[in-house]
Amino acid sequence: MERKNVWSLNFSTISLALIPVSVGINYVGKLFAATLKLPLWLDSIGTILAAMLAGPWIGAISGLINNVIYGITMDAVSAIYGITSAAIGITVGWLAYKGWLKNWWRTVGLGIIVALVSTIVSTPINIKFWGGQTGNIWGDALFATLMAKKASLFLASFLDELLVDLPDKIAVVLIAYIIHQTLPNRLTVLFSNNKTETL
Amino acid sequence: MKKVIIEGLSYKYPLSSRLALEDISLTIEKGEFIGIVGKNLSGKTTLCQALVGLVPHFYHGGFRGKVEVAGMNTMNYSIAQLAEKIGLVFQNPFNQISGSKLTVYEEVAFGLENLGISRPEMIERTENVLKLLDIYHLKDRNPFEISGGQMQRLAIASIVALKPEVIILDEPTSQLDPQGTNEVFRAVNQLKEQGITIIMVEHKVEKLAAYADKIILMSEGKIVDYDRPSNIFARSDLKKLGVKTPIFIQALQSLGLDKKYPGGLPVTLEDTYKLVVKEYGNDQN
Amino acid sequence: MKSISLYVDLDSPLHRLDPLTKISYTLVFMLIPFLIPLKSITLICLGLTLSLLWLGRVIKHIVPIISFSLFLLFTIFLIQGLFHPANEKVAFSILGLTFYQEGLEYALGLSLRFINLLCCTSIIILATKPSDLIQSLVRRGLSPRFGYVMSSVLQIIPQMSNTTQVILDAQKSRGMETEGNLFVRAKAYIPLLAPLVMSSLVSANDRSLALEVRAFNAQRKRTFLSEEKVTFTALIFRFLIFFSFISSIVWRLKQ
Repeated sequence: MERKNVWSLNFSTISLALIPVSVGINYVGKLFAATLKLPLWLDSIGTILAAMLAGPWIGAISGLINNVIYGITMDAVSAIYGITSAAIGITVGWLAYKGWLKNWWRTVGLGIIVALVSTIVSTPINIKFWGGQTGNIWGDALFATLMAKKASLFLASFLDELLVDLPDKIAVVLIAYIIHQTLPNRLTVLFSNNKTETL
Repeated sequence: MKKVIIEGLSYKYPLSSRLALEDISLTIEKGEFIGIVGKNLSGKTTLCQALVGLVPHFYHGGFRGKVEVAGMNTMNYSIAQLAEKIGLVFQNPFNQISGSKLTVYEEVAFGLENLGISRPEMIERTENVLKLLDIYHLKDRNPFEISGGQMQRLAIASIVALKPEVIILDEPTSQLDPQGTNEVFRAVNQLKEQGITIIMVEHKVEKLAAYADKIILMSEGKIVDYDRPSNIFARSDLKKLGVKTPIFIQALQSLGLDKKYPGGLPVTLEDTYKLVVKEYGNDQN
Repeated sequence: MKSISLYVDLDSPLHRLDPLTKISYTLVFMLIPFLIPLKSITLICLGLTLSLLWLGRVIKHIVPIISFSLFLLFTIFLIQGLFHPANEKVAFSILGLTFYQEGLEYALGLSLRFINLLCCTSIIILATKPSDLIQSLVRRGLSPRFGYVMSSVLQIIPQMSNTTQVILDAQKSRGMETEGNLFVRAKAYIPLLAPLVMSSLVSANDRSLALEVRAFNAQRKRTFLSEEKVTFTALIFRFLIFFSFISSIVWRLKQ
């Protein structure tokens, strides 16, 4: 059984049906985190699972649509960060394919990479729109401190975002990994592209 | 005229080592009502999905043999092309709702939009099918906010709107209450009266016995028997194969009447009653 | 809960305007304050947008949308007023903290731009039915499969959150710890989320089968149940939008 090119734009119906579901999982993940009063957002588990199951493009689209929908229905600010979510989807989809989910250490490594990607993509947006802030209390406190010390705008903003993203993204990748491991193979295989053979 | 021809069909799901279907061959005539029974994992659902092309085009896996529906070989046509000839209604009414439409009316029209049917015809077919399935009064309701039986009738309506010649229903009433079940069987019977060939997987054998012309009995991916209900349900190995015997046949068996009428037992409550009355006079019920 | 959009179902001139015209307006007038970063221009865009929202009788719905971000805007004033790199001229002092003019002006510019952004997007969010919007895009070439994905997200999320409530209650009744220290609460997270992920993946599978047998992947030109009416006024409006856009680009290039 061969696996089609993971960058293929030929999306199967089930991969497309996965997208609304992954947005729903993002939403529910965030809801549960809030219900259990955990100190992290945990609002991108769906995007990351979609990337693990169906590849980088589906992950990216899930992330983008997730933010656009949040933007339309709740918090207009979220929509712009669709780019960040898309970048996360691509990163996870690509590195998952490259075998970065083989063991715990690599998974944590993936979490760190995702945090860095998220930060790098979000920082220019933060700077352009809100002068470098993120809206998170701890991050912005750090930002203010660094700006008071006349640090470069980019560095202050970058570290502001990194402080927020690092713990959250590592947690999210680990949680998605664990849940992915619990899914039966006959279910996960449906989302990857394969071909019909003759018996 | 044969609507369904299957020759030597064998199929294996990806990652599986066993055959889900093994050397299936059968034919179905136009206008027949065929029931499929067998215990879980006997291949009933796989067979249904092979008729509409989901097997193999959706799952891939290993496929051998030929499946021809309304003159089309499923290997050579896409699922969307086959959808105009043969439809499939699934078990869970909830998961068949597309989620992209806000009213029952629009939901029925979804498949017609996909097929590029002209707007006037789309409206005509939608209206007809809503009335046929008795959900016209729900046309402006949100599809998620109706009862299970209504949702299943909506699923059937969405398929009937595509005007298929054959409709398959895979355990359509298993998630419904008795009222919902009756609604579905009534609807299916109306479809049969319109000349549509019906194939239905069911565990409610009493109902199946009353409506079906023939029954396919499956076990472990193979067809064990394909015959009239009166013959199938009189078999002694039904329990072993995980199939329930209709209660009136059980009653007749306990009275010893099955030995007296081998192969000719009635399959409806009414006929059973008549037979018992004939045997024992009219002070028995 | 039928869908999660903030759409306000009314009849108004703004509502009756076709989705494409509204999208063009939103994109262009969101962009203009970035092309011409003058506060005066931003105020003009804002004023225009607010008038449209008033015309659409949805202007009062904008208040919750803006107040949601007020705290962020406040902190921007705070931080920029105190620490903006180009700070020189003192504006005022409170509690030993010195606020500078340059920082405050910069914060004002950012805030006005942001509020304009919220108002422009509200033209779509509050006054355009999501299904009309998506259908408008599909008519003009967006893949109908993607149109489907976008339409279904709005309904599937409330459905999932309803199912979620059921799972949450079931787990609580089985003694799942939703109180207690952090470690206890953290341990409850995955057992809570995993079953939901599993069942929603199964339903995604079921749904995709149902979509397939309803000709989802038909290689034909789609038709539409509803009709789209583009009025002459809309066309004039589109021309004016286009003109404003080009003028802004020209102005920008001349800088």
